[in-house]
Amino acid sequence: MRFTIYQESRQGGRANNEDRTTYCYSRDALLMVVADGMGGHHYGEIAAQLAVQTLADAFQREARPILTDPFRFLQKGMTNTHHAILDYTARHRLKDTPRTTCVACIIQDNVAYWAHAGDSRLYLCRDGKVLTQTKDHSRIRLLIEEGMITEAQAAFHPDRNKIYSCLGSPHPPEIEFSRKTPLDHGDILVLSTDGFWGEIPGETMATSLKDANLVQAVPLLLTEAELKGGDHCDNLSVVAVRWEDTYVDTASSAISTQTMSQNEVTSRLDEFGRNPAYKSDLSDDEIEKAIEEIRSAIDKYTPK
Amino acid sequence: MAQQANQPLPNGFTLEEYTIDRQLSLGGFSIVYLATDHAGEQVAIKEYLPNSLALRTRGEINPVISAEHLGAFRYGMKCFFEEGRALARLSHPNVIRVLNFFRANETVYMVMEYEHGRTLQEFIQKHQGHISERFIRGVFTRMLNGLREVHSNKLLHLDLKPSNIYLRSDNTPVLIDFGAARQTLATDQPILKPMYTPGFASPEHYGSRKDLGPWSDIYSVGASMYACLAGSAPQAADLRMKKDTLVPAMMRWDGQFSDRLLEIIDWCLNLNHLYRPQSVFALQKALVETVTPPRPKPAPNWIGRFVDKLRKPI
Repeated sequence: MRFTIYQESRQGGRANNEDRTTYCYSRDALLMVVADGMGGHHYGEIAAQLAVQTLADAFQREARPILTDPFRFLQKGMTNTHHAILDYTARHRLKDTPRTTCVACIIQDNVAYWAHAGDSRLYLCRDGKVLTQTKDHSRIRLLIEEGMITEAQAAFHPDRNKIYSCLGSPHPPEIEFSRKTPLDHGDILVLSTDGFWGEIPGETMATSLKDANLVQAVPLLLTEAELKGGDHCDNLSVVAVRWEDTYVDTASSAISTQTMSQNEVTSRLDEFGRNPAYKSDLSDDEIEKAIEEIRSAIDKYTPK
Repeated sequence: MAQQANQPLPNGFTLEEYTIDRQLSLGGFSIVYLATDHAGEQVAIKEYLPNSLALRTRGEINPVISAEHLGAFRYGMKCFFEEGRALARLSHPNVIRVLNFFRANETVYMVMEYEHGRTLQEFIQKHQGHISERFIRGVFTRMLNGLREVHSNKLLHLDLKPSNIYLRSDNTPVLIDFGAARQTLATDQPILKPMYTPGFASPEHYGSRKDLGPWSDIYSVGASMYACLAGSAPQAADLRMKKDTLVPAMMRWDGQFSDRLLEIIDWCLNLNHLYRPQSVFALQKALVETVTPPRPKPAPNWIGRFVDKLRKPI
């Protein structure tokens, strides 16, 4: 397997980041996950973390070095997450369950398999065009499909953020699976949360990521989305991968899994916990206060 | 990001009421100086200066902190305060004492007592493999007094190792460098990586760190004792988790030290934290306890045998 991959999650204008991303790969299989913890509900970031962690853990256990049934893996992983969230709710006696959307993709043997619940999306881009994308589980998507409203109207519709499937809600989630999709050299897969795709149309992703260095191009797109999103911009997260044929000489940042042993799995997953960026900064007053406090403790405990 | 070493303050520099004599050590998080106060007493001054976030170039006094790092720099300062707060509350002969704390040059400073002596690390290097059991028991029992005080204040040291155990000239040990004595850093700040030293850090230091507890410091105590015998650090815990090649003290020094001491070292170095001594007290008790092997019972005479036989069913 040969591919270039980049992931990044930004807080946007929100008080905290409830998005989570991860990717893991073994010698012959790659997993990518994006989850968007739902802000309207408490502990959205916990639900999202549970989603990426459950899938990553399962992948590390089962990708030896390939998964026997990728679709079944995705189904099991997402269902397990759903139940893990319900268990968490019960254990901590939360009034309402935390919820998260989730989109996950497996690539092995040059074939991509993906599944999603909610409105986090996957785009498959080839030759600068969007080949296919996931369909959101939202009311608005249904309305558009029934011809009740147009895409243009949808952008301003009051219900545009309402979704009817997610992990963690009391109703069992509706998980939608892709077809088995063979990949060509240079194909780009973008998994992202609504904070990103809401601002950057799929065509823009396809054209700007074509032949570009993902490590540079994705942060630029994120910045653009953040600017468009304005002061109250939603959290935005992206995992983007370029699939690269083994025979073609590629950029040095490409990851080759040829040298990995059969049972080895590499993961990139941020540790659980709040992002430090939303810890309040220490003000000058607080510094003075802390020093004062330490000095009085020294005086108090120093034998005279 | 390229890491550059920070320049220390120049010798003879006047910092509040102290005069810098020289730099004692340079870490990734701080610089420690030897200084003299107005009464002529020697003190150690620790300057908060994380390498990755603040840079003092040659000839400058104030470090340069870029705007993007200011948040992280201030956050690290919070941790430095935690270390200060932790130490200020501890007043124990086996724990280093904080004398003063102040703000200058856009950063903060912690003044600590300084005494002549050397670290256990230096002692081990000098006496490669020739450290007596009496010395080990003596130093570690008293060092554990200090560690007990630390734990009873609901703190963990988390970076115990021979170079953080200071020996005064009369060989009384003092715990120094509580820079890692904070747990929040681990998951919060990617730039300020949690600090640990391979060989002395417990398996819980790696990974999620949710299992950290007194037993983690106890692993480090065991590793430090092991280092006293071996002259070098034992195999790092993360490597041991993959393939454990650490020869148990019981096998490596069989007959050269008392079985009890070797047993204690192996007990502390259990990879599973549940199998280690769970408190410093338990470990200390084992260290000072004199073990009397069970005496064989005197062979009972025939009446005794008869009575025993009658007793058995009850």
